Amino acid sequence: MTRSEDIVRDWFRIGPRRRATAWSEHAVVTLAENIDLEMLKPRTLYRFVMGADSDFSIMSSSEIAQLADPMGALLGQGKFPLTAGALLSELDAAGMVPRQSSFMISEAGQISPDRASSLHRDVRFAIVRGKSSDADLAISTGAVGDPAAVFLQVAGWDDRAGLFNYYMRVSGTWVWAGNSYHALASPSRGYGCFDSHVNGSLVMKELKQPWLNWQSMNATIQLADDDPLRQNPLYQSLSGAEELENIVRAGISRWTRARLKHAVTTDREIPNSDWLLRQLCTTTTVNLASTIVASSTAATAPSATLLLPLGFWFNADVLVNPPLNIPVDSAVPSVTGKLYADSLARYDFALVQDDFRQPGDAFFAFVVPEAAFEDIDVIRQMVTTGILTAHFAASVLMVDFPNPVFSPARATLFQYMPTAATLDPAAGGLSQQIAAVISKAADGHPADSPEAEFKANWELAESEWQNVFASRIESYLAAVTERISSVAGFDDYVRLAESRRREFKRMRLNEFALTLPVTNIPLDAPLLQMRPDGTIQEKLVLATQPEESAPQ
Amino acid sequence: MILDHFDPPGEVSDLNDAARKEWNNFISAAVDTAIVGRADHANDSPRAQYYNLTKTDTATDAKFQEVSWIAFPRVVKLNSVSDQQRWRRAESSRDVQDEYCEWSVTRRADGKIMRATFTCEGPEYWELLARTQPDTLLDLYREFIDPTVQRDDLFDASGTYIPRNKWNSTTTNGAMHLIQDANTLSAEIELSAAASIVRVHNGRQLTGEQELIECAQYGVPQRNSDPHIGGVVNSVARLKADLALSNPVGLYFKGLSTAGWATPDGSDPQSYWKYIRGSAEHPVRAVYEVPDSKGFTVSDITIQGAPIMFAAQITDFISIKLTAVACRFGQSTASPMDCVGVPAGISAITATMLPTR
Repeated sequence: MTRSEDIVRDWFRIGPRRRATAWSEHAVVTLAENIDLEMLKPRTLYRFVMGADSDFSIMSSSEIAQLADPMGALLGQGKFPLTAGALLSELDAAGMVPRQSSFMISEAGQISPDRASSLHRDVRFAIVRGKSSDADLAISTGAVGDPAAVFLQVAGWDDRAGLFNYYMRVSGTWVWAGNSYHALASPSRGYGCFDSHVNGSLVMKELKQPWLNWQSMNATIQLADDDPLRQNPLYQSLSGAEELENIVRAGISRWTRARLKHAVTTDREIPNSDWLLRQLCTTTTVNLASTIVASSTAATAPSATLLLPLGFWFNADVLVNPPLNIPVDSAVPSVTGKLYADSLARYDFALVQDDFRQPGDAFFAFVVPEAAFEDIDVIRQMVTTGILTAHFAASVLMVDFPNPVFSPARATLFQYMPTAATLDPAAGGLSQQIAAVISKAADGHPADSPEAEFKANWELAESEWQNVFASRIESYLAAVTERISSVAGFDDYVRLAESRRREFKRMRLNEFALTLPVTNIPLDAPLLQMRPDGTIQEKLVLATQPEESAPQ
Repeated sequence: MILDHFDPPGEVSDLNDAARKEWNNFISAAVDTAIVGRADHANDSPRAQYYNLTKTDTATDAKFQEVSWIAFPRVVKLNSVSDQQRWRRAESSRDVQDEYCEWSVTRRADGKIMRATFTCEGPEYWELLARTQPDTLLDLYREFIDPTVQRDDLFDASGTYIPRNKWNSTTTNGAMHLIQDANTLSAEIELSAAASIVRVHNGRQLTGEQELIECAQYGVPQRNSDPHIGGVVNSVARLKADLALSNPVGLYFKGLSTAGWATPDGSDPQSYWKYIRGSAEHPVRAVYEVPDSKGFTVSDITIQGAPIMFAAQITDFISIKLTAVACRFGQSTASPMDCVGVPAGISAITATMLPTR
């Protein structure tokens, strides 16, 4: 076993409370056990792409010169700042990416310090620097503790290559951990920092209002009156997560745009087309959405009406907005505060970390995984750039549409997606090529198979598919709206939400114990899925294993 | 140090000396009223940690606390299924633009946006201006809205100013100042004062923005702004500090983020955002407009690939702010209070979460 394999193996032994943020510390421990600590020389840039490299290697000056992002430029100048503060000072001194915003997150941020003084609060800063409003450099670091010891990770945008470079401070120096393409390709996909930067871009799990766990215009992270963090200049200049959302969305779109530009060759060929198409068919990662109402508020207002996240019901973000533009006109499904409060008691909801236990839901009510913006953005841009037609993308997405994430049915279709493709207009384009393959396969499958469902979607006339799909979604939402007002109906949706949360918890993106509540539903209870009539059933196991982005 | 007088919002220079004194008196009286609180409500009076900058010293340990929020109306967002739907709704009426930012759009014949104008000026200043310097008010309308504005457009037969006049009541014919019912400076002062009372309910100190606005019954729970203003103000009050809205009391543009924006010629999309009224630190009026010489319109600019077809898209990226000042940290002896009136009300929350359709 190589040292790299040791590190990879040990990496995944780290408990679920925190993983990415423990990387540097853990790496040092691992190195101490297996490697002479002196191996990493100070003021030296190493390469170590986890999963791909067997050892740390010193990067040559010509290799460093290829890192045309702000961090790479700084390191190329021989600057090796070892704390976030020193890094920001070096950037200031160099006049690089002058616009700065800082943000803060803590999964324990709404738990009073007075009530749980010993709780691991995992307070982190996200610091964004840029020439303009866009993020050319993103820094993630621990907000509490010795700045030279807390984790320190950097993503830098390389405009020349059209990718993000990823860096980590390890054992007193810097390590280049790979770039966006390492996130996409085996054997590094899913390893190291790419367990959360799954598709090579910026990550903000709680991307939407109310930005659960972030300091935002909807919630202020609680600190003790005498918390030294109050004196930290980054804390004193915090911006709200509402601003970070726009920055992260822009960062993801920038990477997608660059990626698609390079994905198609001058001969109109797309090598590795499956890297793109898996983001249409599978759930490569997720965002976490919730209601905008604090759980404690909702649970104490029995007659209140709680609007549940639209992304729980279907992939609204991609289906109803450009370029697919399915004209859905329905009210957002909602539930009474009483039914919500009853569900918290029935399933013994609690936030749990080690010996700490706080009864109830997450701070904002009803947190669920929903389709990730980074998947949605790839789909949108594939359509707007003509790689796929809107009808084709919608035909895939409308297969098992009541399950916007973790759909085995849609994942089944991934087997028909080519690993390399040619944008051949004469043959009807890529959409027509793939559709022909799936439609042919449908002939050998039952009428309710994903293949047959796709085929029926695809065979809808160009003039009618949007309205037909809208009608389907509206009928489904009407059924949900009727069922959700009953005890049994909402109970189904509570259990479905918990099932999806359990699927999220199996992902490496699940780093912190306090991100999501636990319940008395056993971890090994059957997973659930939604039907188009608004009822739920145990999740079907399909013959074809869906493609997964990272080992579990 | 005791402040000599309250300046006009944005430190604008429209007012003569007499009118400036009247403005100072208006703000000072509003603050004094807010400090007294609602004596007809249980647990809402007095607001002992709130103070009048012109009457009480601001101590040397003073710190400023900025509070900001997104200008797009939250209620509209919450009840919309698609982006197009929410942008269209937000742009349908000034009455739904309730985040202390209202706007008006000028379009070309083909529907493309030529110019979007945003204001965060409260109505009270304009009412005072109309009463004390009507000619100045008319001049300002002609400068910022349209040179053809007539006095009769702005005043009724008795000479009373019409805030919702034809040049300031729609989303297409001009936006001189805020007119949405909840978008007032008085509301801003009252809610920040009400939020300065530390709340304890069932033996627990309240800290959440939603539970605080429910408990203290200030502002409008449905908005982005009011719960957040109250939450931040209360977090400062919990440090046993005295606090106030800083001078000049008002609502201001914090900025426009253009992350993910792209122009047809690669020019900086930020360069088309201009403040046209107020001081650099306290801007109260902004315009997003591409010069004719550029050969393209606002609608040719894209946000994450989508062309700007509604000014509401821009408001997703606009931040509005106010600033509070706090001092005498750790010294307040004011006692926490339980919730106003009956325990945590349900009515407001119901309104918060109900679909509007």
